[in-house]
Amino acid sequence: MNESVDISVDFAGIHLANPVFTASGTCGYADELGEYMDINRLGGFITKSITRRPRKGHATPRIVETNSGMLNAIGLANIGLDKFIEEKLPVLEKMSAAVFVNLAGETINEYVAVAERLANEKAIAGFELNISCPNVKKGGISFGTEPVQVKEITSAVKKAAGEKVLMVKLSPTVTDISVIARAAVDAGADALSLVNTFTAMVIDIESRKAVLANKTGGLSGPAIKPIAVYLVNKVYNEVAKDRGVPILGMGGIRNASDAIEYIIAGATAVAVGTANFVEPGCAAKIIEGIKKYCTRNNVAQIRDLVGSLLKEE
Amino acid sequence: MTKNRSSANKGVFCAAVCANRQIRQRFYRLRLEFSGAGAEAFSNFKPGQFAELDLCDTALPPAKTIPEDLSNAAGRKILLRRPFSFTDVTMQGDKTLVDILYCVVGPATLRMTTLAAGNSVSIIGPLGNGFWVPGGKKRAVLVAGGMGAGPLEYLAKILTADYPGIEAIALAGAKMAKELPFEGRLDEISQQLGFSLPVFAKYGIQSVVATDDGSAGHHGLVTDCLSEWLGGPDLASESMIIYSCGPEVMLARVAEIAKEKKIDCQVSMERRMACGFGVCQSCAVECRVSDSSETIYKLCCEDGPVFDGMEVVF
Ligand SMILES: Cc1cc2nc3c(=O)[nH]c(=O)nc-3n(C[C@H](O)[C@H](O)[C@H](O)COP(=O)(O)OP(=O)(O)OC[C@H]3O[C@@H](n4cnc5c(N)ncnc54)[C@H](O)[C@@H]3O)c2cc1C
Ligand SMILES: Cc1cc2nc3c(=O)[nH]c(=O)nc-3n(C[C@H](O)[C@H](O)[C@H](O)COP(=O)(O)O)c2cc1C
Ligand code: FES
Repeated sequence: MNESVDISVDFAGIHLANPVFTASGTCGYADELGEYMDINRLGGFITKSITRRPRKGHATPRIVETNSGMLNAIGLANIGLDKFIEEKLPVLEKMSAAVFVNLAGETINEYVAVAERLANEKAIAGFELNISCPNVKKGGISFGTEPVQVKEITSAVKKAAGEKVLMVKLSPTVTDISVIARAAVDAGADALSLVNTFTAMVIDIESRKAVLANKTGGLSGPAIKPIAVYLVNKVYNEVAKDRGVPILGMGGIRNASDAIEYIIAGATAVAVGTANFVEPGCAAKIIEGIKKYCTRNNVAQIRDLVGSLLKEE
Repeated sequence: MTKNRSSANKGVFCAAVCANRQIRQRFYRLRLEFSGAGAEAFSNFKPGQFAELDLCDTALPPAKTIPEDLSNAAGRKILLRRPFSFTDVTMQGDKTLVDILYCVVGPATLRMTTLAAGNSVSIIGPLGNGFWVPGGKKRAVLVAGGMGAGPLEYLAKILTADYPGIEAIALAGAKMAKELPFEGRLDEISQQLGFSLPVFAKYGIQSVVATDDGSAGHHGLVTDCLSEWLGGPDLASESMIIYSCGPEVMLARVAEIAKEKKIDCQVSMERRMACGFGVCQSCAVECRVSDSSETIYKLCCEDGPVFDGMEVVF
């Protein structure tokens, strides 16, 4: 029934079998979700943020659940570049999904060092530049809120990335996300991903202390979806569409309907984050659901749906 | 039980609810039944391992039955699964039955109370690493704080069944009688070691109960009972082992006592978990690295929840 539907997309020159990714920080470094789904069915895969040296991350509690959402302040805990190359790259090489390595650091040089080292690895299709992590004092989000800094880091990493696709991940915690998106594209970003988590806080009213050890964290999950859909639509209309830059949309996606909303809003592909924790095989179900939607609605190619939001006349 | 990584055949399974019984005020025992691949996967479940239950679509109890201190929390729309360990695992033909002892503390465990025979629940597991038995042990002391009695009840069963050379006793403590997760009258329970707690007595294991306020059993901390008891029997420390599960302050004291007496000790740690299977990094436990002053974070869900007591930085 679904055979005639084409859900493949072109994402900044990369051919994706389908438009579904798993989002950074929610699917491990390589095949960790493999016990729950066939990860080769994914269109794309994004690693946990990788920094040049291993990072321990923050003290606990690192997460707290909120109404239809959760806050995290992991603090970019990761195994570091060397161990990533040694242990995870060989696994990633065998994956059929387009692999993006998420880059993070405290200085531009750190980002550049990781990108340079991985730029010739054939297992990797591209990089996702994390300039939007709300959970670290140095680096992270501070690179992603000032257009001048966005340009500087994007062009530096673009040079280091060689032939690889560079996707810049935007923070929603800014005054005008289009200004940041434009700065990234001007400096050479091949794609944009949005959104990262919203900076947020939960207070324990008995102790009058913040629940998270880091005090603030990033809000993700269904609670953020309507705002994230709006931001994707805004960036699509104001920047991405005219510049021909694809958007990877994310924030609270749990099922195919959520994914389709993002695609209609202007995302060429979507990423599933927090939902992986609840339903580790949900990305595969979303892919099936997208096919069904296309069949039901006579959409021959999913790419025709990208940015197809109707404007009332 | 050897120390090994979690079983290879973990996955997402659907379990049928058999029974859900209130055993006292806030404590319940839930019995679930697995068939097919789930029965197979959970037949290998080791004491101290855990599973993640999806309770998002489980109904809340009627508003008027919700305890006042939980009435605000009850309204929260939950999103994440919740981790639980098992108090028993039994095979019945091609089915596997598992028991969960749980305490009602928030929106998910409130929902759990409405599960009834005929319902089903999605569950991921078996997860993590359970307790293990090093060679040469002759005596095991099980130290439970509050809800920590759950996994130790299952450990008691396995020790009795598979390790006839090991003699076990159990020490169970709580702040007060009503926080002890056991059935029956506890206010008149013996202050001495004996067969007073059926959950351990059914495996031929003697126990002592302690409460901080003296409302049941020994008046004092369960860790004081442990010190006292370790002062008694003159077994070589190498042949002993302490297994503990409960609040972190208690585990810290247990590990300290074990270190003083040079006795092996395993502690089951608890952390807030977003995933339970190693992808979110939320469940960090600070651990020592041997021959170094440095510490690292291990993952409670993947490297634990059971850790060597000497390894954990409390
Ligand atoms: C490996 C493991 C095994 C467990 N086994 C059992 C079991 O067998 N039986 C049982 O009753 N419970 C067990 N728990 C605890 C159980 O998961 C929580 O009680 C449950 O998630 C609470 O959900 P809730 O929505 O009802 O309450 P929530 O609102 O999530 O929590 C209620 C209160 O407890 C605090 N809290 C919640 N989780 C934690 C945590 N991990 N560490 C510290 N504080 C926390 C919250 O701050 C809040 O104040 C286990 C936990 C872990 C990590
Ligand atoms: C526990 C957790 C860890 C995350 N870690 C990272 C990270 O290392 N790098 C990054 O760019 N984004 C990280 N994210 C953000 C997600 O990739 C995603 O942008 C965000 O969660 C919104 O999508 P969702 O609502 O589907 O989760 C993390 C999110 C969560 C919940
Ligand atoms: S709970 Fe997600 S890594 Fe441990």
